[in-house]
Amino acid sequence: MTQEEENIIVPGRWDLPFRHTAGRIASHFFHALVEKRIIATRCPRCRRVLMPPRPFCERCFVPLDEWVEVKQQGTLEAFTVCYARFTGLPDPPYCLALVKLDGADTALNHLLGEAELEDVERMKETVRIGMRVEAVWRDEREGGIQDIKYFRPLA
Amino acid sequence: MSAKVAIVGIGQTALRTSADDRIYHEHDYEAARLALADAGLDRGDVDTVICSGWDAVDGRTISDMHTAMSSGGYLKDSSHVGEDGIMALAYAYMRIAAGLFDVAMVTAHGHAESSFETVSNVVFDPLFVRPLGQSHLVSLALQANAYAHRYGVSDEQAAGVVVKNRGNGAVNPRTHLRSSVTPEDVLSSDPVCYPLRALHCPPQSVGGVALVLCSEEMTRRISEKPVWVTGIAWAIDSYDLGSKDLTSLSSLSSAAQKAYGMAGISDPLRALDLAELHDITPFHELLAYEALGLAPEGGASRLVEAGDTARGGRLPVNPSGGVVCGNPYGAAGLLRAAEAALQLRGEAGQGQVPGPERALAHGMSAPSGAAARTDCVVIMEGG
Amino acid sequence: MAKRVAIVGVGLTRATSHRVDVSYPELVYEAVSGALEQAGLQAGDIEAVAYGSMDPFDGVFAPERWNVEACAGAGVANLPLMKITTGGTTGGSTALAGYYHVASGMFDVVLAVASQRVGESLEAQLVLNTAVDPIYERWQGAGAITIAALQGVKHFWRYGTTEEDLALIAVKNYENARRNPYAHLMRMLTVEDALNTRVVSWPLRLSDCCPSSDGAVAVIFAAEKRARAIADQPAWITGAGQITDNYWAGDRTWYEDWDSLSMLARRVYRQAKIENPLVELDVAELYNAFSIQEIIEYEALGFCEKGKGAELIRNGVTTMQGDLPVCPSGGVLCTNPIGATGLIRVAEAALQVMGKAEDRQVPDVRKALAHAWGAVIGFHTLMVLSSEAP
Repeated sequence: MTQEEENIIVPGRWDLPFRHTAGRIASHFFHALVEKRIIATRCPRCRRVLMPPRPFCERCFVPLDEWVEVKQQGTLEAFTVCYARFTGLPDPPYCLALVKLDGADTALNHLLGEAELEDVERMKETVRIGMRVEAVWRDEREGGIQDIKYFRPLA
Repeated sequence: MSAKVAIVGIGQTALRTSADDRIYHEHDYEAARLALADAGLDRGDVDTVICSGWDAVDGRTISDMHTAMSSGGYLKDSSHVGEDGIMALAYAYMRIAAGLFDVAMVTAHGHAESSFETVSNVVFDPLFVRPLGQSHLVSLALQANAYAHRYGVSDEQAAGVVVKNRGNGAVNPRTHLRSSVTPEDVLSSDPVCYPLRALHCPPQSVGGVALVLCSEEMTRRISEKPVWVTGIAWAIDSYDLGSKDLTSLSSLSSAAQKAYGMAGISDPLRALDLAELHDITPFHELLAYEALGLAPEGGASRLVEAGDTARGGRLPVNPSGGVVCGNPYGAAGLLRAAEAALQLRGEAGQGQVPGPERALAHGMSAPSGAAARTDCVVIMEGG
Repeated sequence: MAKRVAIVGVGLTRATSHRVDVSYPELVYEAVSGALEQAGLQAGDIEAVAYGSMDPFDGVFAPERWNVEACAGAGVANLPLMKITTGGTTGGSTALAGYYHVASGMFDVVLAVASQRVGESLEAQLVLNTAVDPIYERWQGAGAITIAALQGVKHFWRYGTTEEDLALIAVKNYENARRNPYAHLMRMLTVEDALNTRVVSWPLRLSDCCPSSDGAVAVIFAAEKRARAIADQPAWITGAGQITDNYWAGDRTWYEDWDSLSMLARRVYRQAKIENPLVELDVAELYNAFSIQEIIEYEALGFCEKGKGAELIRNGVTTMQGDLPVCPSGGVLCTNPIGATGLIRVAEAALQVMGKAEDRQVPDVRKALAHAWGAVIGFHTLMVLSSEAP
């Protein structure tokens, strides 16, 4: 063994196919999105309207089967704008947003679009916590979370 | 060992082929709710939650973000073993034995969002073994062949194990495959991975298992039908398939000796009234008899031929039908403990063994099959 | 009741962005042999192993299998080995598992090992993205950085914390790391340098974000009798715990506050009989993967009131010369082999109590705190180590 010998790097890649079941609760939500309706499950015990809808309330530990429709407008609870490029993730800049829709007690994780993101200083002036936003729908909806294209600032 | 820990709640969901109406961690939720109801407790009574499973099988990194919630863990002290659920039982046992927690929820799920054979290939090291196509089942077949060759175990003898277990499973409404098979069915089933045939191999089942464990003091207060854990031990073996004896299960022997020591068992064949073993293949059920000291080396198949491990035999093994009938991957080991506990409570239904007092449950936690397999042995006694 | 348990030996590896000089088992062996050597023990003294890693980063699933013999020959000896994985808290959870192994009375000498080769993955953020729920949230491109950035945006908005405050945190950690031979980033950084690095995810700049590291760590836990025989000054565990918060990103109204960590701190301080952490703790190793988190952690851990975290760094309270040095190691901000990182916090806190932290030693440490967060900021672990048995 000599000191000059190169350390060999063996390339690797995981390409594992999966099929993720959404289950009946998320499926019902996605079917409603096709019809441009946003619905959530309500806990019969704590009465919170939980977005995204889920099969049970983790606090009360009871199953959820009561549905309520929430508004398509809401408030920007938190956000960040990603300026770095990561392999396999969306092209920068993109704005991750937590939107609390009117009528829901918890916020939906989505994107903010139609906002000035390119320049950090300009972005800081235009995107603000507490701003009002609304859902923008895709024309072709297939029953998935991206049936909502993004949320945009409400004029 | 002075600490006493009991199983006071058992939850099993129905096992089936698929469950597209559920998100994967609902199996943990349903099983946890059943276990709490069985124990007469609610989420507020639980001090600690131990979840289990393999993230690469679930297709989600940090799957316990979901399963801890499903198991009642919100704002509680939880942890997660990257193992079969039987190891979650082991961890919960330690937490209670330490005197730091009174009530523990243990959960496991099998949901089959990916093929375990595909996933298990990446457990093997990328330098020497992975490119060869090694997997969970391939390595187990390698071991089965080595064992059968050394001791002259015949195809008929291996089929006998399957026929016994499938017969037991036919009367267990909780398991997945509920039909008996004949030796001819087994011998004519398709070859999968020599010497394993299709009917030697367990199904990939969907479902959840949960147990509630309690400290002695709490058990005495809340439970009328506790099942006491009187011995528990686990052990791992070597990773390198080329440098160990494939014809015995050293990790299972080691775990069994320690568990027997804790429970004060010197002659397991006499001391035990039933055993639920992780029969990942029929050859591995035979290997387990030997590792558990129920039969001499190479002598396990005679036990089956004599009917000693049939439901009416000296030591019924897998009265539930075992893993060959129901295999929620990641929960199959914990399911052995659940089934053994049901037997001790006299609640196993048509498959009930008459009046058992002491049972053994064995769970295998082995993402890479025969390489670095972990075995956990639990000895339980009725209340 | 629980047996008294102490840490009696620690082994750390050099951490770099990719340890191309060693295979995975060799990396783990480096940590384990270091811990055995410090404790003066042989591999045969180890009775059980708790192993932690967050699998996908390594490109090897369940790497404890490949690495089993590096854990004091655990496979050959048929030792009990238990794999723990809880995301970023994995190392902290592995320390807790090691502790409970001994506290249960079942084992006297237990090895906790944690490892991660983030450098084997070509894109850590893509791996972290697989932690995000694939039904509702994964498509959106979230990873650890974006979640920490959300915390930053909200802390700025509610409490007026500034980019300069984040730079002060970075500068302090970089300076500490220069005295730690096991740190990954060991270079000078000024406030001006920090503020000139690029924005990764607003408001976090490059100097506010941890590196991706290859590294491993081993910690030996022992029951009281063995601990006193092995170590002159064992590091006794006087408080320990974990808390599990909801994983739904949108359920959290507390990005700026980390209430679940406060709740856990109250539980663990009660066990450890700590009433005023700023006064009673001598050192803290916090999980500061992103600079903003160190500020939020000061507040959640009760070192100061909510919203006042930035004042602690502005006033130098948490520097090596301050009243409560935080991360003498340079913290996660300078070294992050993810699944190992929480156990490194415990190891560093133990070294401080044992008086073996060499150039990064804080004088006369009697009580040290080790923290980790994980699971898209839903989990926390804490452990209090003390020079005196509980």
